[in-house]
Amino acid sequence: MKDYDVCIIGSGAGGGPVALTLAKAGYSVVVLEKGPWFDEKDFYKDELACCRRSVYTPKLSEEQHVIEDTDSEGNWVGEATSDSGWDFWNGNCVGGSSNLMSGFFYRLKPVDFRLLSEFGPIEGANVVDWPISYEELEPYYTMVEKEVGISGRFTDHPYAEPRSSKDFPYPPTQEHPISRQFDKTCDDMGLHSLPTPRAILSRAKGDRRSCEYSGFCGSYGCSSGAKGSSRAALLGQAVATQHCEIKPLCKVYKLSSDAKGKVVSADYYDAKGEQQSIKAKLFVVACQAIETSRLLLSSTGPKHLHGLANNSGQVGKNLLFSAGGSGNGDFKYADMDEQAADAMKTRGPFVNRGLQDWYFIDDKAMGGRVKGGTVDFLLRHPNALSKAVSTKWDGDDLVWGRGLQKKLKSVFTDSQTLRYEIFCDWLPTDDCFVSLDNTVKDKWGSPVAKVRIGYHEHDLKIGNYINERCSNVFKKMGATNIRSNVSGAPPQNLVAGGCRFGHDAKTSVLNADCRAHDVENLYVTDGSFMPTGGSVPYTWTIYANAFRVADRIKDVLSGTRG
Amino acid sequence: MTRMGLLGSLAVTYPAAALAELRLTKAEQALADHPAEWMQESVWKTLAQVQEVLFPAGEDIPGAADIGASIYLHNAIENPNADGDDKDFIFRGVGWLDGLTQQRHKKSFLQLMPQQQEEIIQAIVKSRAGRNWVSMLLTYILEALLTDPVYGGNKNGVGWQWLEHQPGYPAPAADKTWDQLLQRRYKA
Repeated sequence: MKDYDVCIIGSGAGGGPVALTLAKAGYSVVVLEKGPWFDEKDFYKDELACCRRSVYTPKLSEEQHVIEDTDSEGNWVGEATSDSGWDFWNGNCVGGSSNLMSGFFYRLKPVDFRLLSEFGPIEGANVVDWPISYEELEPYYTMVEKEVGISGRFTDHPYAEPRSSKDFPYPPTQEHPISRQFDKTCDDMGLHSLPTPRAILSRAKGDRRSCEYSGFCGSYGCSSGAKGSSRAALLGQAVATQHCEIKPLCKVYKLSSDAKGKVVSADYYDAKGEQQSIKAKLFVVACQAIETSRLLLSSTGPKHLHGLANNSGQVGKNLLFSAGGSGNGDFKYADMDEQAADAMKTRGPFVNRGLQDWYFIDDKAMGGRVKGGTVDFLLRHPNALSKAVSTKWDGDDLVWGRGLQKKLKSVFTDSQTLRYEIFCDWLPTDDCFVSLDNTVKDKWGSPVAKVRIGYHEHDLKIGNYINERCSNVFKKMGATNIRSNVSGAPPQNLVAGGCRFGHDAKTSVLNADCRAHDVENLYVTDGSFMPTGGSVPYTWTIYANAFRVADRIKDVLSGTRG
Repeated sequence: MTRMGLLGSLAVTYPAAALAELRLTKAEQALADHPAEWMQESVWKTLAQVQEVLFPAGEDIPGAADIGASIYLHNAIENPNADGDDKDFIFRGVGWLDGLTQQRHKKSFLQLMPQQQEEIIQAIVKSRAGRNWVSMLLTYILEALLTDPVYGGNKNGVGWQWLEHQPGYPAPAADKTWDQLLQRRYKA
């Protein structure tokens, strides 16, 4: 088989920018993706396909994780997800989970790159500063706005991060009537209602059509191409250069390394289950945080006895999710006039609003100035089945017959539900990490990732602080039946860390260029590099950093960088 | 944008008259005159009746038969890509139901009066397995009510109309149902 310049494992937000940048520069690139290659013609608004059957993710009986959580006595106990049904997969297909995101995109802020210096240590948490600054990443955030296509409207506010371009390249997507009501409430409360930047096109870009406003966005593949998935926005262009090959249904199980410690091949199972191998000068791993750590830990070699790039023992450590919580409030049609009710029922446009007024919290009750987070506001997902299935329970009792039908009618037709989602730093701790399970194996016979999901109590404190304030916004807006939840349960779709980057090879896996300290031809470009998470969804930062690292790799390949 | 037009027309309150009309469609009549072979099997006749108890028709409420709940269930559990455990469990549950009915009434479930059928379901959910069984049947009924008609339930969008639900678009094509897409995970 042909030797490539670069072999990328994983085709999501971490892999796409590298594939595109290097293919455009004329290097031969191969992308190995374990999932199938779906495209716009395969994506329908089908709740069974998206959300209730394993179409975009593996069957848990074939590929699972082991999740370690504490039992009632505080002991860590592992349970295979094939037993619990708690699915930690997020989109195994070309483009990865970026196909299925909602696309609310926020940048990190300069302070997020130096949390330790700004806020000091927190006991029980492994907070560190990043080896790069916001200024180094900023040009790449801007690049993502153009390359991936981000729509929005810049609005200055006290916590706005600096930006090198004046405004977004695409105007905001269409907005729901409730957004104006939200703006007014925020004005009255002295809060800064912010238009949410979205990785969704508000007008066509090349082959990609503008958003068609079906209203079912998150969890679904996009049939118009408007959603800025790695597949739609980047990989198509990469393939068009004729320097990039994408191989779906190729599951890499090991990166083999030689006596000097360099990676020589990516070993994988093809669609028929046969073992294959690909050679390249340089390897890039971007399988999403948990699977990236798992692959490295599985890839032992003569110089890597405890797993590739793991001479520090740091691979898999300091895994991050996103802390915070969520809340819902109902707006009853019966409390409105007909016109207002009709407006409230509008389906399709986005709420597109966020609050960062509590990005930093300076409150004596919280022990001085601490890091807070971001809140995004959205309509409850219109998925019908998820709404309906919950009505069959009344506590532990089943409801059927007329009782069930009455509940269904009410849940579907009485009100619109507005929702908020709080994003806070998930503090890195010694109780949240990836290792290999000793007993559970996937369908190919490889040990699965074991994930310990401990959280820091501080995360709940911050989550509760913000939650209380969001709940007040809802009250002021006139919402009823406000219910919210702040917990330490990890949102499995917001995951990063495990291969933190840093200057010190003893305490980090990657250097500032996201190259492994102890493997000269290995890079990691998904969210694994993040030593702290910041309090926004990760995807924009993953995209931006992958473009940054791609530039470094380009310089290495051209010989201008060592 | 024809799909948008259709959505518009679906978004109105569900009228009882439309339901009556639906109940008399030719397709319905044809199916009633020449039902598929599996529908004649006693296990499926029993399941269809249990579904009707769990989701009865009302003057302006589509019941299990109206939404094609048994056709949907049959498609779902006979699908080779489906989780085979569900089929086994559902069929075993019919056995328990029959056993309990014979024990209490010396009759089959189908021969019982509506009130007796309701009481049998109430008795069944008292055990954990029985509750799981009814819960599973309810989930399939709700799927029949609200998934795209391409899967055999929700005839003409009757479930969506009743609950004033606007489905997303595009709707799944007949050759792109979940089970067909799923096979792409295994084939090059």
